[in-house]
Amino acid sequence: MIKNICTTYLLFVSAIAFAQNPAPADTATKRILLLGGIAHVGNGTVIEQSAIGIAQGKITFIMDGKGFKPARNAFDTIIDIYGKHVYPGLIAMNTVLGINEIEAVRATHDYDEVGNVNPSSRAIIAYNTDSKVTPTVRSNGVMMAQIAPVGGLISGQSSVVELDAWNYEDAVYKMDEGIWMNFPSTQIIKASWADTEEEQMKRSAKQMQDLTTLFEQAKVYSKNNKPEVVNQNLEAMRGLFNQTKTLYVRCNFAKDILAAIKFCELYNVRMVLCGGADSWMVTEELKSKHIPVIIERTQNLPRRDDEDVNLPYKLPNILMKKGVEVAITDEGFWKDRNLPFQAGQAVAYGLTKEEALQTITLIPARILGIDKTVGTLEDGKDATLIISEGDILDMKSSVVTHAYIRGKEINLDDIQKQLYQKYLKKYKID
Amino acid sequence: MKKILTFLFTIIWPVSQLLAQSTQPLQPLSDTRVFTYAFTHAEIWQDDKTILTDATLIIKANKIIAVGNNIPVPSDAIIYDLKGKRIIPSFIDIYSNYGQPEVKRNDRVRGPQYTTQTKGAYSWNQAIKAEYNSSANFVIDEKKASEIRNIGFGSVLSFQNDGIARGSGAFVLLGKKDEGAQLIKDKAAAMYSFNKGSSTQEYPSSLMGTIALLRQTYLDATWYKTVKERDNNLSLASWNDLQLLPQIFEVNNYRTLLRADRLGDEFGVQYILKGAGDEYLRLNDVKSTGASIILPINFPEGYDVSNPIDAANVSLADLRNWEYAPYNAYWLDSANVNYCLTMSGCKDAKTFSKNLQRLTSTGLSSQKLLKALTVTPAKLLKIDNQTGAVKKDMLANFLICKGDVFKKDGLILENWVGGERYIVNEDDSIDIRGTYDLKAPEGKIFQMEITGSKSQPDVSLKIDTVKVKVEFTKDILQYTFRLEPIKGKGYARLNGQFNNSTREFTGQLQMSNGDWSTWSAKQTSSYVEPKDSSSNNLNVLAPSFSGLTYPLSGFGRTKIPDEHPVLIKNITVWTNEREGILKNADVLIFKGKITKVGSIDEKMLKLLGLEVIDGTNKHLTAGMIDEHSHIAVEGDVNEGTESITAEVRIGDVINPDDINIYRQLAGGVTTSHLLHGSANAIGGQTALIKLRWGKNAEQMKFEGADGFIKFALGENVKQSNWGDMNTIRYPQTRMGVEQVYIDGFTRAREYQNRWTAYNKSGGKLQLPRKDLELEALSEILNKKRFITCHSYQQGEINMLMHVADSFNFRVNTFTHILEGYKVADKMKRHGVGASTFSDWWAYKFEVMEAIPYNGRILHDMGVVTAYNSDDAEMARRLNQEAAKAIKYGNVSEEEALKFVTLNPAILLHIDNRVGSIKEGKDADVVIWDNNPLSIYAKVQKTFVDGVCYYDATEEEQMVENIYKEKTRLMNKSLDEKGKGANMGKPSYKMEELNHCNNKEQLPH
Repeated sequence: MIKNICTTYLLFVSAIAFAQNPAPADTATKRILLLGGIAHVGNGTVIEQSAIGIAQGKITFIMDGKGFKPARNAFDTIIDIYGKHVYPGLIAMNTVLGINEIEAVRATHDYDEVGNVNPSSRAIIAYNTDSKVTPTVRSNGVMMAQIAPVGGLISGQSSVVELDAWNYEDAVYKMDEGIWMNFPSTQIIKASWADTEEEQMKRSAKQMQDLTTLFEQAKVYSKNNKPEVVNQNLEAMRGLFNQTKTLYVRCNFAKDILAAIKFCELYNVRMVLCGGADSWMVTEELKSKHIPVIIERTQNLPRRDDEDVNLPYKLPNILMKKGVEVAITDEGFWKDRNLPFQAGQAVAYGLTKEEALQTITLIPARILGIDKTVGTLEDGKDATLIISEGDILDMKSSVVTHAYIRGKEINLDDIQKQLYQKYLKKYKID
Repeated sequence: MKKILTFLFTIIWPVSQLLAQSTQPLQPLSDTRVFTYAFTHAEIWQDDKTILTDATLIIKANKIIAVGNNIPVPSDAIIYDLKGKRIIPSFIDIYSNYGQPEVKRNDRVRGPQYTTQTKGAYSWNQAIKAEYNSSANFVIDEKKASEIRNIGFGSVLSFQNDGIARGSGAFVLLGKKDEGAQLIKDKAAAMYSFNKGSSTQEYPSSLMGTIALLRQTYLDATWYKTVKERDNNLSLASWNDLQLLPQIFEVNNYRTLLRADRLGDEFGVQYILKGAGDEYLRLNDVKSTGASIILPINFPEGYDVSNPIDAANVSLADLRNWEYAPYNAYWLDSANVNYCLTMSGCKDAKTFSKNLQRLTSTGLSSQKLLKALTVTPAKLLKIDNQTGAVKKDMLANFLICKGDVFKKDGLILENWVGGERYIVNEDDSIDIRGTYDLKAPEGKIFQMEITGSKSQPDVSLKIDTVKVKVEFTKDILQYTFRLEPIKGKGYARLNGQFNNSTREFTGQLQMSNGDWSTWSAKQTSSYVEPKDSSSNNLNVLAPSFSGLTYPLSGFGRTKIPDEHPVLIKNITVWTNEREGILKNADVLIFKGKITKVGSIDEKMLKLLGLEVIDGTNKHLTAGMIDEHSHIAVEGDVNEGTESITAEVRIGDVINPDDINIYRQLAGGVTTSHLLHGSANAIGGQTALIKLRWGKNAEQMKFEGADGFIKFALGENVKQSNWGDMNTIRYPQTRMGVEQVYIDGFTRAREYQNRWTAYNKSGGKLQLPRKDLELEALSEILNKKRFITCHSYQQGEINMLMHVADSFNFRVNTFTHILEGYKVADKMKRHGVGASTFSDWWAYKFEVMEAIPYNGRILHDMGVVTAYNSDDAEMARRLNQEAAKAIKYGNVSEEEALKFVTLNPAILLHIDNRVGSIKEGKDADVVIWDNNPLSIYAKVQKTFVDGVCYYDATEEEQMVENIYKEKTRLMNKSLDEKGKGANMGKPSYKMEELNHCNNKEQLPH
């Protein structure tokens, strides 16, 4: 019955000699059957003993696998994953993965362009498919990522990539899908390094004025298909006004969130809130305006001395129970390998495991507008999925053994595993 | 007999006997006026205790020559009849910068400045300015003097508030005459602070560095006066000269107050402490210092909480402080703490007066306030034989007042300073306020209303039905009114006199057309004071002292939870001992210890107050121990200025009020090793605390723990990521780091030899200088202090082990140690432990070969391995970090848990006390609702020494209470705002979290 069992371990042992990132996988041609796994579909359903068929990079079927008997020659490979867990490939939103390699080394920083207003900057251009960090993130089940620039008032444009590619053209899944904005904060900050109250107010007022002017001009500009004088920044913003691009708004203070909502409404752009640490104070507005929230880390400290010590852990549940769509991210870059645990953290504080899973699969896919092809394990969708020894949301049991991106089996080796093997050998242990 | 006495008294006192003589040459026409003044029929408050009625005060020149009842008035005296008036001693402020030049700020040099900019044979440190002489720099500033004279002050201690050792302060009067006349005591006190002020020198950059500098200076000064063979140092010479004076130390909160006092204790100095106004937060500790306190009364401004979203940023602690701070003086007084008051900190003189009046409504009597402004400050400066009371032979410094000046209706009329008269308020007993019928020409009658304050009344006139504001000025004995133009008619102007007995104005009037006429106005009804609406009066309901929480934040408690016997039944116990994991076991906690583990029948226990907890489906582990933490440290974790700062001590700067203590208890942490940062090769001495939330800094320290010190290697130490300005400090390469260590330990060895030789010489050799930096390094050589070393790359790890070997000691712990896996065999051989991160990497170049399997390899190679946080957030879930050892490297669950419990205990030499569930060990235990290594596990209770410092159910209640308490205080704030109180804009307080090398905002 079981013809073939792939072991990724074999793959990475053979890669040791290279001490570099494994080569991207070949185009998927094989028909694969994953049999017996506990399938977490991503829409809330769990199939205890599933059968998942993959062909030409797509999921051809997913069904209850109890007593499933595959037809002769229907599959090239059948993988028995009884007792293991199958999940949609995780999606890391809002990350500088591939555009930052070493935090302290400026030469490796490609996420923050000079100047305050940079809607034309495109993260995809700087995205380094050969980052040493990416394979370590992939090893933990993250298959796709939204590479987003930071800094300034308007940071630039993000793109969605698959984390297995030769070059950025190869990697891109959805190009330049959104523009990132740091909303000016009117919240007065008190800290030893902070400016005076007056200076802070002056700065935010000036920033708000700059933004308003920019958006007013961009909106008028967008109505003219053949402007006399072409402006790259305004060109980049066209998509915001016909809703083909999303405006990702970074802000955390409640009053700023409210202002941002008003702002986006005024210009009729599709807003996604990113950060939103205080979003629990303004759930009604978020819900009624259908604004999804990207929470940056649940494993966080409360923002105020008096706040419930567990508030950051509870935040996803508070929002979700109020009917607000929630995606969860990590701080980005190398920490993205802990993405499943950022979601798992919310489980002890109200979310079900399946809800938590959605915050890093289906909901990101929906926000990114790619949920027709990824985000859940459903017929016809991309075969972008992962298999884990145990519950992927809990570090104690989260060990990813297989991963597929559009049906291609991904080599889960990385530089850290190579170094591990190298020294196990040196010390003759294991 | 009486006649003879009278006769004797009528003799004119000779001037020379009493007068302070001046050397000023007289210029023609000299116009010298020396008189005797007699103030008769006054109520005289000689001090806070002695009140004379119908008494006489006689002064001549700058002295009081007699005071009492029935005193004959000298025949040549100018007599002031003060019937109905009161004389009190004028106020003394012993914390003032009056008359001192503005602090000059040197231009900062480009880049770091490691040596002093002070030229001359002075201290090596720019902030030690014991040589500064305030009297030499004192200059009269009449504008400022009159401002503070007007609120009752007659004299101050004038000093320059700049630097750590600030030199001497001068006691001066606030008069106008020349400086010589005002300067009463040249060197009246020695001044200190923890603030380096205008010093541009790098060292010290932290509070602990400042404390270390003061400590070393005390030692140096003593040594300086003892030995002969030494360089000259004018700062130390002055320092020694000043030691017999009152020592005044400024602090910025109650915690630094306690620190300053402890520092004083080390050197037998009792400071007078210039407080911050928050002493009530730990009243008992403040009281036990025995120190006298100079109290500011600049009460915190409230918050404008009108916008609920803005208001969410106001912390309960801030709201409470707003409510409580005005009671600080009262509570200190009730606790019999000796205190005096200062204007310092108040934004202006008016605020001081207003707040002084507020103090009476907190329960302080006028006598007590008077004492705190006169007798007490005089005593503290040891000049109470000269001033502070209205007594014979004292300085003629007193106030003539009407009513009680500490209350709203009181008024200072005159302030006599050194026998010179300064009129503050006119004794204007005429109150013109009221309603009048104003008779104008042509028989017209208008209603005139005079309201407002007595001294500055507002006048308005009702013309037809319109109320017209009248501009009003008062000249000598005359009043001028000017009516605003009515419908383009121009101005009407009135001039008049007031007859108080008939309550009538009469005078001349010029109409807007220029015609002259007369007018009169007779009072028809007298003035009625409107109900008090100012915020001056506190609510009748004073906050109760017993309601205070420790700390003040919402998660503080009014008292530490009870310690009582606890039996946890039927629980899964992760013992970390040979027994492994025990299912359905019972654990008894008694008197702070784990008394029994196994099967316990509670019926057999006859323990008073025994609490039984059902542990079914729950797990019990030892409390987490964080080997590398930077929480609860005040005033920077780095003294990252010089390459070796072994003299600084985290133990000096523990902040027991840090909310992260409570948050980490909520994550099951019970012990934290507070480290100096990693900005230099040899950082400071560490402190080990138990998270006894609510206790004070000293009570948090882990009793009897071995001393540790932080070392650091690599990029931080060689300033790789500090920017282009920081490239001059040695070392800038790993080569240099090795040399720093060899140099340090070589000097320490020589230092020891010097002392050994001295001790053997029987006094023949000169006493060596005590050097706190080398003392700490010597302790390492003598295996009395242990190293925990920030480390990443294998080469430097190897190097430090070799340096240690060559000096015959062992490195105790490598912390971070991300490339430890590459030299695990060498580490095992050396006998060093590892305290690492579970999965951190890629944050700088030196961690690019870090691997999450590091812990597993080290552990397998027999190195004692722990996981630490170095981060206030991560420390809340060290259990999850431990679980990553299972994910990366298949470490067993039992062994993984030890990474954050028993193993760090071993590394810190406290495994005999904590780290496992064993009979006799401290009851530092955590109850979890799930497998403690699961991300789904939540802490239910955390015990330290058998005391439950965190309880998940209680936490929910606390959150509820915070909400209620904030709502109450916000309503009160809105009430006060409605009454016109000044309220600040609510702002968001950014928490300043500490990492290894904070200075550069780079983690770890």
